[in-house]
Amino acid sequence: MICKNEVCNDRKAKIHQITHHPYFGFFIITFLMLMVQLLRVIGVPISITLLRAFGITMIYIIVALGFSILLGYAGLASLGTAGFVGIGTYLLGYFTKNFGLSIFLVIVISILGAIVIGGIVGFISLRIEGMYLAIITLGLSEILNEVFKNAVSITNGTNGLGLNGILVIFKNPVVVNHNTIFIATAIIMFFMMVLTLNIIKSPTGRAFLAMRNSTSAAQAMGISILKYRLLAFVVSTVYAMLAGVIYMSYISFSIPTTWSLAFSLNILAAVIVGGSQSIYGIVLGTFMIFGLNLGVLQQFSFFQNNPAISVVFNGLLIILVIMFYPGGLIRLVNTTYHKLKKIVLKLMTKWRVYRYGSDN
Amino acid sequence: MVPIINELLITFHEKRINSIKTKINFNENYLPIKLQNITEKSEKKIKFLTLKAQERILPFEIAAGVESDYLKGKYNFHLDKINDKYYWKERAVKASASRKNLDPKDQVQTLLEEKNLEIKKLNNIYFPATSNDAKTEYNNQKAVIENELNSKVSLITETLNKKIAVTEALTQSKIDKLIVAKARLNEKLEKLTSKKEERYSLDQDVVLSIKNLSMHFGGLKAVDNLSFDVKEGEIFGLIGPNGAGKTTVFNCITRFYRPNSGEMYFKNIYGEVVHLNDKQVHNIIKEGIVRTFQNVEIVWELNVVDNLLVAAHTIYRSGFFGHLLNSRLLRQEEKVMRKKAEQILEDLSLGAYKYAYPLGLPYGILKKIELARTLMANPKLIILDEPAAGLNDAETDDLAKIIKKIQKDYNTTIFLVEHDMGLVMEICDTVCAISFGKKLAMGTPKEIQNSKIVQEAYLGGE
Amino acid sequence: MFDTTGFWRDIILSVGILFIIYTLLKIFVFKRFKNKDRAKEVGLNIALVLGIMYLFLRIYILIDFNLPDVIPAGNFMLSNILNQTLQVSVLALATTGIVLIFKTSTTTNFAQGIIATFGAFVAAKLIQNFTLNYTEMSVTTAVVLSMIAAAITAFIIGIFVDSVIIRNSKDKTPVGKQMITMGLVLVLSGAMPLIFGKILLPIPKLSYAPNIQFTFLGANLSITVHAFYALIITVVLLTILFTALRFTKWGLGVRATASNELVASMMGVNTKIITAMSWAIAGFLGAVAAVLLTPNATNVSVGLMTPTQVNAFMAAILGSFSSFLGPLVATVLIPVLTGLLSLVVPLWQNAVVYLIILAIVLVKPMGLFGKKVAKKV
Repeated sequence: MICKNEVCNDRKAKIHQITHHPYFGFFIITFLMLMVQLLRVIGVPISITLLRAFGITMIYIIVALGFSILLGYAGLASLGTAGFVGIGTYLLGYFTKNFGLSIFLVIVISILGAIVIGGIVGFISLRIEGMYLAIITLGLSEILNEVFKNAVSITNGTNGLGLNGILVIFKNPVVVNHNTIFIATAIIMFFMMVLTLNIIKSPTGRAFLAMRNSTSAAQAMGISILKYRLLAFVVSTVYAMLAGVIYMSYISFSIPTTWSLAFSLNILAAVIVGGSQSIYGIVLGTFMIFGLNLGVLQQFSFFQNNPAISVVFNGLLIILVIMFYPGGLIRLVNTTYHKLKKIVLKLMTKWRVYRYGSDN
Repeated sequence: MVPIINELLITFHEKRINSIKTKINFNENYLPIKLQNITEKSEKKIKFLTLKAQERILPFEIAAGVESDYLKGKYNFHLDKINDKYYWKERAVKASASRKNLDPKDQVQTLLEEKNLEIKKLNNIYFPATSNDAKTEYNNQKAVIENELNSKVSLITETLNKKIAVTEALTQSKIDKLIVAKARLNEKLEKLTSKKEERYSLDQDVVLSIKNLSMHFGGLKAVDNLSFDVKEGEIFGLIGPNGAGKTTVFNCITRFYRPNSGEMYFKNIYGEVVHLNDKQVHNIIKEGIVRTFQNVEIVWELNVVDNLLVAAHTIYRSGFFGHLLNSRLLRQEEKVMRKKAEQILEDLSLGAYKYAYPLGLPYGILKKIELARTLMANPKLIILDEPAAGLNDAETDDLAKIIKKIQKDYNTTIFLVEHDMGLVMEICDTVCAISFGKKLAMGTPKEIQNSKIVQEAYLGGE
Repeated sequence: MFDTTGFWRDIILSVGILFIIYTLLKIFVFKRFKNKDRAKEVGLNIALVLGIMYLFLRIYILIDFNLPDVIPAGNFMLSNILNQTLQVSVLALATTGIVLIFKTSTTTNFAQGIIATFGAFVAAKLIQNFTLNYTEMSVTTAVVLSMIAAAITAFIIGIFVDSVIIRNSKDKTPVGKQMITMGLVLVLSGAMPLIFGKILLPIPKLSYAPNIQFTFLGANLSITVHAFYALIITVVLLTILFTALRFTKWGLGVRATASNELVASMMGVNTKIITAMSWAIAGFLGAVAAVLLTPNATNVSVGLMTPTQVNAFMAAILGSFSSFLGPLVATVLIPVLTGLLSLVVPLWQNAVVYLIILAIVLVKPMGLFGKKVAKKV
């Protein structure tokens, strides 16, 4: 009968604490993804293509997160993403097929490889900046693509390397259920988001931003350009190669044409369209660029017959966003949210005046 | 071979001593924050317990008719709720009546009756008929509950005090251990240094010494055989006409340019004399030299406090993996640094802009924020490149006051380049005038003002 | 297995020796020069030229070693180089367009290739029309006419892109503009199959006359008439462009805009028209290149210009964006090297050429012909 006010407030404060926790949004995104899988398991008719679309989009979100640290924070434009993701896929394929290595071991190998490759590109970035860096990394990606095409003994050339759903989890090869990998992907995506946020909010993230604003001012504040350029590239390469390994375990097939310039450009587009400095923006952007096409538009027979239209749509989206919302779609979402809030408040006051009569 | 090993050992020990010093500093700074956290937690607990106890006493109070503050508060709260509810109901009734052009009198009357009924009910709940039995019961219960409460509270305060004592003791023991370790290292270092002779030495009160500095750009001699000393704790001004090479001197000191010849020595925060020519750009700040730039170099995406934290970059002990996993050490360090940054901002009367974003703040404020930022790195020497450029007279006066304040309160030496003669003459203790990279004169502001060579250089000369 | 003839061993050894000599010179000799930086730069240039020359020489020796004695290796190499004429001219046109846009708008135009391909589609459609309706028209006239039409289409698209899209964009940073061009790539590559249908559209060569035979340095060489015409067209177009850049008011405007757009606009240069024109001209050159290239691939396809586009970027980087001459040298170097390396390391030639470019750019970040810009602190 008597409400214990302070206790009520305490509970409210606790709920507020949970909903305003920095990781809460990531949890919701992951939860929604898992719900899609769960609904399918329960028996709700969700097509396999839609599920695949969500899975691939999650993998690409990991790539885009790494890329956003590079572009949005360290201010380094790179077009080599496709090559790095490709290396990840082929590493898993090669080691599983030829040596029967466990996937965890392959992940460790790919992280070590990413540190080496990222270090090399980081060193290049010390000498070359801006647009030049973008083109040089594009060249690097092309070299990698040539390797994928021509090193037939490792990559099976232009025919593509397939695993047929076989993975080595601990010791023996097993056929892995897609649903398991989907769930694992969602969880990994959650942790990657958390790690990204940690980096962004930490002194490292601030050092990246300072370096992006002015290298000389950053150096005067004790930030070593060498260290942080290398770090940015290593981090983004680790993300990309990890995503590659997950991609290979999920799709079980990798072909050189996937890892072409178009993929790098699409990742860049996803980051720019969503908003390069916001994790939610990146999720949104990746869904707009990849998810919408794979998941929604491909469901309609019209788009299935004319796949070109969805490409046109993507292109128009990129152009319009850059022309009118340079901060990315996430800024548009934020502004609309605030505008809606204002409109709702206005309507509420109007209704109050109608219901209760105006004050005084 | 031996001297090289000796030297390596010395640098190794020096580095370890420095890291121990930063550890001690961190522990000392983190202690009050930790204590505050603990006290806040137990205070919250005590408050909650008291509340619970009062809730338990409440029914007996009601039965006994004792009008305690808690009971009154609770009663008033519900009364207000009823009043509020009927106020809005009345307004709604009146409004709907005025829309329909009706007389609301009857409806208002019924509402009033309903309201009175509810208040009566409330009164019945809170102020029922009382009896003596209830009173004695109340007294008994109250004594029991309060006893319980008091014992609990005293327990909490006891544990709190214990905790405080323990943490203090722990921190103290940590610091003591560190101090012991430091002393041991110092001993070792002394043994090592006794073997080798001192490489560089500076006069007692000199912080920065520039000797025969020359810097050429192609054929142009920007700085030509320049020598001067900056004394500890003074404000040193470098003046000269446009293109005299003032900023080049700064860039040589902070290692953005590599001078063609000349030596630069600096007595760093640990009191050792270092040869600046051997240092890298990003390591200069670790020795205690912080600089600003001609234009404001602020990170626009970060708020003011975070901007200050950027300059504290070298003080953080947590590494990249600590940052990646948001480690406990990092969280503690962040708290310490944030407090320090807020303290500095308050000191320079910038408290209002703590969590503002720099985009859109006035230029004068941005310049002050840059000044505040230099203080984050515990500097010994602050180098200011044209601090008054682009400021109006009032802002310049303000800046002069702040520079004086920084010099006094933070025990730093300030070395500045400035065009605004008024500012230079007002705040500087020593002024050095240069022209075409060569030293013209050096002395107190008055001497410089009266110097003929300087006047000629400025006015073109006959 | 990979290196039976010792080719790569020699290359790596010579690069190492050059590097050591250069470092020794840097430490001991360059110090004494009055202008240290200039001496370093000259030394580096000489080292690079020596390195490239050695590469050619080593390829010559390798070919000589592998070929039967009947065929002279020099002849073989020259004819291989001559086979790249069409590639060189196409690449030169595309690269010039990209460099022109970089100079006036400070962005890398990813849509260069796709706009050119659009032009080629228009040309192919026109040629289809000509062959159906004007049977008496010769192939050359048809191709030339349609080439002009394609170039004009690309010209108009160029103007449209600059004055409608990029002028009105809120994000005017280089990356933003680059993103817009990438969006254009997607839009156009999606729109082209919708507009032009799914039928295969061929473009014939300019002429099917027998190859031109001639002797040069004692070697019997031949070149296809199509490649020869392409070379002439390229030379004529580029000569006109460079003359205009050097001697006309527009050229002065372009150079002024390239050095500083804001100052140029304050000095009364109409930078809007200048940039629009440079986008238009880039489109024009690209479309000509695409029409010339199509016979090699027989049909026009969406991905027609993609390899050329990547190579053009590489050429611009290798030769430096800051000059026009540098990229032209690079446009000759890249196809020639690719052609020769395809004899040495079949399949891997592109990767090797990119690696060489990467190495050169690492040594000289501003490209072969670029000048170091001093950074102000």
